[in-house]
Amino acid sequence: MSVGRLRAAIAMLSLLGAGIAAYLVYTRYSGASLFCQTGGCETVQNSKYSEVAGIPVAVLGLIGYAVIFVTAAFPGPTSAALGVTLAVIGVAFSAYLLYAQLVLIDAICQWCVANDVVITLVALACLWRFRRENAYSVATASGR
Amino acid sequence: MGKASRSKAQRRLVPSPAGGPAPAGRPAPSGWLTPARTLLIGVAVALVVAGALIGVSVAGSGSSSKPSPATVTGVAATNALFRGIPQSGNVLGNRNAPATLVEFAEPQCPYCGAWARETMPTVVRDYVRTGKLKIVFHGISFIQPTSDSERALGAFAAAGSQARQFQLLDLFYRNQGEEGTGWISDDLLRSLGSSVPGLDADRMMADRSSAAAKSQIQDSAKAAAQVMGSHFRTPTFQAGPSGGTLAPMPISTVDQLGPDGFRAVLDHMISQ
Repeated sequence: MSVGRLRAAIAMLSLLGAGIAAYLVYTRYSGASLFCQTGGCETVQNSKYSEVAGIPVAVLGLIGYAVIFVTAAFPGPTSAALGVTLAVIGVAFSAYLLYAQLVLIDAICQWCVANDVVITLVALACLWRFRRENAYSVATASGR
Repeated sequence: MGKASRSKAQRRLVPSPAGGPAPAGRPAPSGWLTPARTLLIGVAVALVVAGALIGVSVAGSGSSSKPSPATVTGVAATNALFRGIPQSGNVLGNRNAPATLVEFAEPQCPYCGAWARETMPTVVRDYVRTGKLKIVFHGISFIQPTSDSERALGAFAAAGSQARQFQLLDLFYRNQGEEGTGWISDDLLRSLGSSVPGLDADRMMADRSSAAAKSQIQDSAKAAAQVMGSHFRTPTFQAGPSGGTLAPMPISTVDQLGPDGFRAVLDHMISQ
């Protein structure tokens, strides 16, 4: 897959993740009911683990996806490296939140699981993009 | 081998994991900062940041610790849940609502906390906000040290005089510690009160010993004694059409305290 397509894929996945995060932020601040098929969304959303230092994790996710989207808009190894860094932060923290759901809260939120899938795909795409971007750079340097 | 063919060969031998064509105009990596090192630094930074986030989250979620002002959680969710819903004293919702739910709860009781965190939001959104139901809260104290529970009940009653009892209650249970561990301190109550918009925490702390607060606590204790006798069990609920005789809700399992189970029992009670 070309770097251009990878950047497009990262941008699309980031928008998808941002959409999920935005929905969770909206329900949190509007008081609207959360659409939930797994039955545990309210429990997770109202748990102590839904905030970090008073900031809802959905807000952190929204900001993270927005910045990853911006990194996808700019070409080059630096932008790719920043994307990888943010995506790995997202994967690591999402893994912790998944652990919290399964072990500490004993409830599963479908939106959180959907986010876990999206951020994992984003991280894989960012890593792939990083390799391709740097492959170009190294190849260009070696071929000079 | 000519210059052109040597370059081509070098391109093929590039230690690139992905390979692919090499477009012109890309910057060359600097000598020290190779792609591998860049990736290593990026992942290391990511893990440090993620570790810090997890550390803050773990520190703020300790159930047995005493929440400090910096670790009061659930403020946004609490404020969103009750925004725009009328309340007065220990009554939440439209006073003319066709149905009434009465709750008897103990501040240290873990099941009361679980109900408040997991089921109360559904009841508020689907029944109170829609005007179908009003909730009457009665706080009682019987878990040792009862002085801790009484301290909390005073704050609840005082917040009620500022029409903020249910925000304080909700925030209190979101930050609940383990029963009997002495976690209900004045500092905690002040921190919780300071987190509720429109609630004067200093006034709330001062009003805990007011005649109005004492009267509400005594009224709740009398109501609890009428319903439960001398064997207090919390949470205990009564429900039914407003103005009629409220009946005890037959809740006997943990599942019935959850949103779906509670809704099923409540629907049956208020439709009678």
